[in-house]
Amino acid sequence: MIVAERKTIPELVDILEGHKKILVLGCGTCVTVCLAGGEREVSIISSALRIASRAKNLSFEIEELTIERQCDNVFIEEAAKAVERNDVVLSLGCGAGVQAIAERYPAKPVYAGLNTSFIGILEERGIWAEKCAACGACVLDQYGGICPVTRCAKHMLNGPCGGSREDRCEVRPDRPCGWQLIYQRLKSIGQLDRLKRIVPPKNWAPSLGGGCRVIVREDHRI
Amino acid sequence: MKIHIFYCSNCLDTDLLRKQIEINGNGQGDHQIQTVSLPCSGKVNLLYLLKAFEKGSDGVLLVTCGQDECKFLEGNLRARKRAMAVDSMLEETGLGKGRMIVVRKNEEDVGQIKAAIEKLKDNILQDTERSQE
Repeated sequence: MIVAERKTIPELVDILEGHKKILVLGCGTCVTVCLAGGEREVSIISSALRIASRAKNLSFEIEELTIERQCDNVFIEEAAKAVERNDVVLSLGCGAGVQAIAERYPAKPVYAGLNTSFIGILEERGIWAEKCAACGACVLDQYGGICPVTRCAKHMLNGPCGGSREDRCEVRPDRPCGWQLIYQRLKSIGQLDRLKRIVPPKNWAPSLGGGCRVIVREDHRI
Repeated sequence: MKIHIFYCSNCLDTDLLRKQIEINGNGQGDHQIQTVSLPCSGKVNLLYLLKAFEKGSDGVLLVTCGQDECKFLEGNLRARKRAMAVDSMLEETGLGKGRMIVVRKNEEDVGQIKAAIEKLKDNILQDTERSQE
């Protein structure tokens, strides 16, 4: 899922200052699961903004709404009336959601209430970790299903770097060494031979090098 | 000054709490104190506490069971962390820090709620003075 975290209240107040009627719009998908922009977080952030509004005499009028998915036009339609009623939208969706709302309602200012952080998973209660950099050329098949691009702080394809201490990454000692995990995993599935191969430099062209990435599936277009 | 007291009903009897507040002279007069009973302090979440402030509360006191005494094992631990999150969020809103206080109930310390209310009132007054400067 896409993992995000909320902007601070002073940041949000800076963004919203000068506006009166504000729609705080949540998304019921990824950002709900990572506890950043779901229905509950919409209420929490709205409540904090009302308190800030009173403390700073800003006269915000806040409406709350959460739709199933902000990155899908079918669901965006459900917000049409609420968007119409308000001066601006504070979207608690991921970056894709914010832009989808802004494209659908071009006459309304749409602001991001979250910082979209990464593609990851819930490791344990309250801890989310990055697992995928969406680099566009997946190498997971070669590393036992553990991504060296995201799990190794140095993004090494021919690791390990030699700096790890007791299975810990030398860059981030609170995290396990990605290459230690790769070794253990390959060993457990009997594929340690893969580590003898020298992997050539990764092709980063499918990543962000060529600007906005688009996938076209002609078989779905008509 | 308006204060809300959220308390775990497993560690504090409603009548006893009200009696304590009245004995201390905090129930009436200049200060309005409202009590909210919880089945466990772990029932509170950020929204419960923020809503109290949104609806006009100047300070909130959360009374939890003592360490290792929670009937539901870790409700008091969760409640404390949530209260800390609310306190830092209130600081972000500009309302100030220290308006959200957690008291871990100690049976032997009969004056602890009174002391916590006094501390809360001091914090609120300091915040108010600071914001008027």
